[in-house]
Amino acid sequence: MKRSLTTLGLIGVASLALGLTGCSTGDSGSDDGTIKVAYQKTSSFTAMDELMQQVKKEYEAEYTDRTVELIPIEAEQDQYFTKLALMNGSPDTAPDVIYEDTFQIRSDAGAGYLQPIDDYLTDWDGWDLYDDGAKQAGLGDDGKTYGISLGTDTRGLYYNKQIFEAAGLPTDWAPESWDDILDAARTIKASDPDVIPFNAYASNALGEATSMQGFEMLLYGTDDQLLDTDTNKWVTGSKGFLDSLAFYQTLADEELGPDPAQALDAGWGSKVSTELLPQGGLAIALDGSWLPSQWISGENEWPEWQDTMGFAAMPTQDGGGDGFTSMSGGWTLALGANAADPDAAFDFIAAALTPENALQYHQEAGQIAVRSDVAENQEYLDYNPSFEFFSSLVPYTHFRPATPDYSQISSNIPVATESVFTGQAAPEDAQAQYDEALVGIVGEENTQAG
Amino acid sequence: MTDRTSTISIVTQRERERPITVASPRKSSAKLVSSLILSAIGILFLVPLLWIVFSSFDESATVSMSLPEHWTLDNYAQVMNWDQTWLPLLNSIAISFGTALITVVVGVLAAYPLSRYRMRFQRSFMYAILFGTGLPITAMMVPVYSLFVSLKLLDSTWGVILFMAATSLPMAIWMLKNFMDSVPISLEEAAWVDGANSMQALGRIVLPLMRPGLGVVFIFVFTTAWGNFFVPFVLLFSADKFPAAVSIFNFFGQYGSIAYGQLAAYSVLYATPMVLLYVLVQRLSGGAFALAGSVKG
Amino acid sequence: MTALAPSGTVARGRGSDPRPRRGSRTFTRILPLLPAVLLLAAFMLGPIVYSLYGSLTNRTLTGPNAANPEFIGLDNYTALFSSAEFWNSLWLTVLFILASAVIGQNVLGMALAVLLRSSVKPLRSLVGGLVVLAWVLPEIVAAFALYAFFSTDGTLNVLLGWVGLEGTSWLYYLPMATVIIANIWRGTAFSMMVYNAALAEVPPELTEAATIDGAGAWQRFTQVTLPVIRRSISTNLLLTTLQTLGVFTLIWVMTGGGPGTQSSTLPVLAYQEAFKFAQVGYGTAIATVTLLIGAIFSIVYIRILKPEVD
Repeated sequence: MKRSLTTLGLIGVASLALGLTGCSTGDSGSDDGTIKVAYQKTSSFTAMDELMQQVKKEYEAEYTDRTVELIPIEAEQDQYFTKLALMNGSPDTAPDVIYEDTFQIRSDAGAGYLQPIDDYLTDWDGWDLYDDGAKQAGLGDDGKTYGISLGTDTRGLYYNKQIFEAAGLPTDWAPESWDDILDAARTIKASDPDVIPFNAYASNALGEATSMQGFEMLLYGTDDQLLDTDTNKWVTGSKGFLDSLAFYQTLADEELGPDPAQALDAGWGSKVSTELLPQGGLAIALDGSWLPSQWISGENEWPEWQDTMGFAAMPTQDGGGDGFTSMSGGWTLALGANAADPDAAFDFIAAALTPENALQYHQEAGQIAVRSDVAENQEYLDYNPSFEFFSSLVPYTHFRPATPDYSQISSNIPVATESVFTGQAAPEDAQAQYDEALVGIVGEENTQAG
Repeated sequence: MTDRTSTISIVTQRERERPITVASPRKSSAKLVSSLILSAIGILFLVPLLWIVFSSFDESATVSMSLPEHWTLDNYAQVMNWDQTWLPLLNSIAISFGTALITVVVGVLAAYPLSRYRMRFQRSFMYAILFGTGLPITAMMVPVYSLFVSLKLLDSTWGVILFMAATSLPMAIWMLKNFMDSVPISLEEAAWVDGANSMQALGRIVLPLMRPGLGVVFIFVFTTAWGNFFVPFVLLFSADKFPAAVSIFNFFGQYGSIAYGQLAAYSVLYATPMVLLYVLVQRLSGGAFALAGSVKG
Repeated sequence: MTALAPSGTVARGRGSDPRPRRGSRTFTRILPLLPAVLLLAAFMLGPIVYSLYGSLTNRTLTGPNAANPEFIGLDNYTALFSSAEFWNSLWLTVLFILASAVIGQNVLGMALAVLLRSSVKPLRSLVGGLVVLAWVLPEIVAAFALYAFFSTDGTLNVLLGWVGLEGTSWLYYLPMATVIIANIWRGTAFSMMVYNAALAEVPPELTEAATIDGAGAWQRFTQVTLPVIRRSISTNLLLTTLQTLGVFTLIWVMTGGGPGTQSSTLPVLAYQEAFKFAQVGYGTAIATVTLLIGAIFSIVYIRILKPEVD
């Protein structure tokens, strides 16, 4: 048996080699003149799909010899990243134009999935419209530009004025510390047990949404951060990290948050914005600036949102520092490294970012303007009354560490928050586990005790 | 194959009316007790199934099972559109049919020499095949993905078909060889005398005689491929190539918590072909058919 | 048995091969094997070879190591074996197999087979059909059905409410129990059919003789029936074990491996590490360990049963 297994093995390796050269007839769309565009589409996020459909039409009308293949990836954020990475794994399936989160740019540029677009930008008249922050967000580790911003965002607190009023809380609520938030949540819990007092994303399934809308909104309001920008070392064992996890523990212990059994669902994010907030099932939500865009029109329309929803800036832990904090990210359009015809692919990106299309997208996806032509446009300002509030958070905002390994490190944050929020681990243990994973990714020499 | 031989071959089994003999006064009461227990177990198996059926006709379906207050076909009407249902189902058919066809053709070719000749490596080969039936290859999508990157077969329907065919092969060869063993060789000897070569003998004599066996293996592979979710989930990216398994999962992820009725209706559409094929296989093989094969001692 | 069944009474090709065995013939004879060998080599052996190799690299899905993975020897394995997560996952896998396959499917399958044989006919077809239907359904549909069944507002809690019991969020508080029950629900049909066939082969003379000797039903079952069908039992145990080792979809849909890692069996953990945390090399190492476990069971299976393979 042994001997013939060896023979079999040899044949196997031989034919594997054969397969490598012979089987490569898989249909690779990139060399037949089509431009493959990959982007995200979910039940609560259709603005990108609408934009891409429209641009495809415009583009194919303008360049009659070119075709665009749209690849909408129907998945929540975390699975979208996975699918995208899987597609990028092979040049044949890698998209030519990618809807890319800014925090993935350095990582994907480092992996060789993206190509720099500096040469195209010098000839593109739209580039001057962008502010410096947006330009910065598109940079790779090598200082080259890899993505053009589709807008930015901030994060803050949404609260339901009707629930607040019923609970005897002020309808012009302005919390000044974490304790203020917890106190309000306790009051609501006492006044109406059926309402979820407060939601901060905690689950692993929500991935980066948990990291950014949830945990980092807390952490960056403490004296600590993920990465010490002075020494460029990652922080382990910091008090701020521990306190942020302890905040989640408080939510869980006092049942101020959602039932973990519900909140762990991958579709929880959509549920918060399309069901719980509109239906008055949730009093306070720590969430992103884009939520109202889906209430203005479309499937999830909610005409009363302006009367019902109040907004408040997220306070720092004890009101120190600037008093408030926020996180900003945003998405870009990037050019795939293996685009067969990069010129044609860039033309597509440019077509997606004409003043008209940029305006439309900023409005419908609820983006904070990063281009002067949109920012100054009265139509934009009038379109969504919440723009004014969320734009006012820009002075307090933070950006995620701009390193290629951030996305890997960040994926360990939801592991920690979920284990604390579900009571599986004490904050100390969850922090220790995060630290261990962190050291595993960046190496002991790139960390420092906080 | 003697009774001592245990095999994972597909064997059809006429259910024998051979009830365990019990002294007659106790017989009826024993029968009653076992019928009661059996009914209880049956209900446990029934309830989750009924949820799918009821919800698919319920205009306000929830996660819990209840008789629809208003029976409706709306859920079906909602999901029965090209992009969401018909194209994925067509893709499922293409993938499953391709997989089953390749597996059966390649499997028959391989089974023939294994059944008809005695070769030096045959024993080890059959052991290797048997070994292969046990490997959890389809649970190893991580290295499979990496392999597909190297083979440049990602997002290729053919890649998925070839992979699923290969992973079905060990079982198929094993089953086909057993079917073939039961076809007497004396018939082929006559053909050989007439000057037919072995492939002609296989095509003219053996295959027609084992037609039900071929059907069984074909359907067995077809249904396995039809139900497979993980392989296309990792290896395919374009929505227009997704089989129903992946498309229904995406639907679940997006609308699963809202549109239970539609999810259930889609599930029914997706599952029905498999149930029908199973019934067909029973007909094909006559009597109570055990797809699991009789793994007997 | 029908004519389909390979049977000892039918003349076999073996031994009655009329053709002289010559070297030149051998090649044309094994030629038909070639497509199968090629296919198996590329897509069965391929992933195995790749798994062994890939687990020795630090390949990631993104970042610099995606472009230029390095050979890092056994680092992934040392990291794996010192990780609490891995041992937790291994334990969950063992628990999943033991509880759902070895105990659940086998015992319930056997019970059903026995009950089916001693029940009235219409009931027999009905219940047998239902059990088989759960098995025939595509895995993902079965997963939806059970996800709904165990949901907080699902059927189970409604039923419990009827008898005055308060339900809970089963998928959250008892994730392993739910996926174990789900796998029993889905997989029992296989064991039931195997044992149904095996029981039909037990010579009635044996049980009759035991009855005459005064053995009760339970004694007859344990002392006569079980020994006679022991080979079916061991075969079935191994097959269900191997099938259960590979279960991914059911767990993925119902709990996603969570909460936390409370239901992450090895296939789920490998997927998460490789594709969610982007550590392809590490995930491949987990896949390799899964494969090894499967291979060991497969060899045990062949060893114990010594099936007649030629």
